[in-house]
Amino acid sequence: MNGTLALAMAEIRRLRRNRRYLILTIGFPVLLYLIVGKSDTTAYGVAFKAFYMVSMATFGALSGAFNNNTIRISQERKEGWIRQLRLTPLPANAYVGAKLIASMVTSVPAIVIVFLLGHFYGGVDMQAWKWIVIGVAIWFGTFIFAALAVAIGYRISPDSVQPVSMIIFFAFSIFGGLWFPLSGGLQGFAKFTPTYQVAKISTDVLGTGNFQAVNVIGLVAWLAIFLGLAVLAVRSTAETM
Amino acid sequence: MATHNGGPIVTFDNVSKHYGSLKAVDGLSLELRAGETVAILGPNGAGKSTSLDMLLALRKPTSGRIKAFGSDPYHAVKSGRVGAMLQSGGLMPEVTVRELVTLVSGFHPRPVPPETVMKRAGISEIAEQRVDRLSGGQTQRVRFALAIAGESELIVLDEPTTAMDVESRQLFWANMKAEVAEGRTVLFATHYLEEADHAADRILVINRGRLLADGTPDEIKQRAGARRLSFRLEQVDEPFLLQLPGLVNLEIRGDLVYIQAADSDAALYAVLDAGYRPREIEVTSLGLEQAFLAITSQDNEANGGPASASSATMSKESI
Repeated sequence: MNGTLALAMAEIRRLRRNRRYLILTIGFPVLLYLIVGKSDTTAYGVAFKAFYMVSMATFGALSGAFNNNTIRISQERKEGWIRQLRLTPLPANAYVGAKLIASMVTSVPAIVIVFLLGHFYGGVDMQAWKWIVIGVAIWFGTFIFAALAVAIGYRISPDSVQPVSMIIFFAFSIFGGLWFPLSGGLQGFAKFTPTYQVAKISTDVLGTGNFQAVNVIGLVAWLAIFLGLAVLAVRSTAETM
Repeated sequence: MATHNGGPIVTFDNVSKHYGSLKAVDGLSLELRAGETVAILGPNGAGKSTSLDMLLALRKPTSGRIKAFGSDPYHAVKSGRVGAMLQSGGLMPEVTVRELVTLVSGFHPRPVPPETVMKRAGISEIAEQRVDRLSGGQTQRVRFALAIAGESELIVLDEPTTAMDVESRQLFWANMKAEVAEGRTVLFATHYLEEADHAADRILVINRGRLLADGTPDEIKQRAGARRLSFRLEQVDEPFLLQLPGLVNLEIRGDLVYIQAADSDAALYAVLDAGYRPREIEVTSLGLEQAFLAITSQDNEANGGPASASSATMSKESI
């Protein structure tokens, strides 16, 4: 476990130095919120500035955990860093473990910074527990997407991993209603996406102050599915590293 | 190391690895003893890398058993008793050399201090440079540093000096000798014959996934008929020549006869004793390279394989 933590620390150090990552996870959501966050309309029956804060925090944290990991893992597999690690006393699952831990840690500032912006710039105000529940829901969503990123990074070559992960992520973002509230037939379909579960829990907490167990179950189910895919991907590529 | 008392630290017991119909490794059996420096010598595609991959738990044998330090390869590697440097090993980008060496040395149950590792690998001057901004030779040295970052008892190297210039190659083996002097066992794959000759005290010749010869560099040369006898002889009697003692290879071009035999003197006496009086007798000494070619080409001919193709690869690369 110590080795896994040491590797996770190294991963975090790398991410801190990576300008692209910082722009994608923090710079981009902050900029968008500054531009459109102060609108006085409503979405999902809650104030738009609050909805958009949640939406941007989710977008930044999830895209950081997802896009960054798919690309890194695919490249590190191709270049042989994963193979190199397998030659050390580090346990076989430490690489994936460290990636997940690093994603969970680095998503915290991405969420917190947008929340601070929402509070002080957008004027979003609510009880402490609501901030925490929404933050945890997004954070859990990050874990789900980090797991999916492992499955994709292990399967897809560096040449095509960028467009593939972009398409998958945009599809989940749009159908999950992260960018704008969905309506009609699309919403029926969207209800099953992991991003929708995060958005639903958040907007429920913002609006009624209650969230539904079905959405929590949905999140856990998606986590189980993506972790399962990740384990399969790691196992089936073990001999071709 | 003392726990092994001269018994083998690594054992391959009839190990095979098949990819579909391709037999990359085909019934390989061998043993490594503590303190040896052993070269696995063979042409490209002989099964060297696959064998090392299996020893390092990167691949599983199709059949047969590998034991290292009394356990399976995975646990041997994870216990820190084996350090390795492979051709395909990549490095973590965006960190400095020092950070990377410190990280990997920290994974070991018996770590070597990072400063010592970097000094041994000759990378102290580039400690603060970023790993992704190094030259090919520097990258290779960093990979070597990662292989010796723990107090491993066995170091496995897959073609360690590929892409190195002559000077770095010499420096590399000088460093390696220092590691061996500490009592480590070294197993390395190479297709550079002089490298096997100079660096190893034992050579395993592998071709088509099978072990063809196992011995000291001198024994390998001997085994292959390290001297070549040639002469001119009218009315060559091929069946007679084929029965010469210790014959390794026979070639007849018109009245010119080339003979490789374990003992060239004995072969010549046999020719003379049979009443022949050949002219223009010459005995030339062959290097390890020709010895190696002789061993692998016999094997390829005996198995209907592409003798010329693999010989051509060998000679091109070893020159």
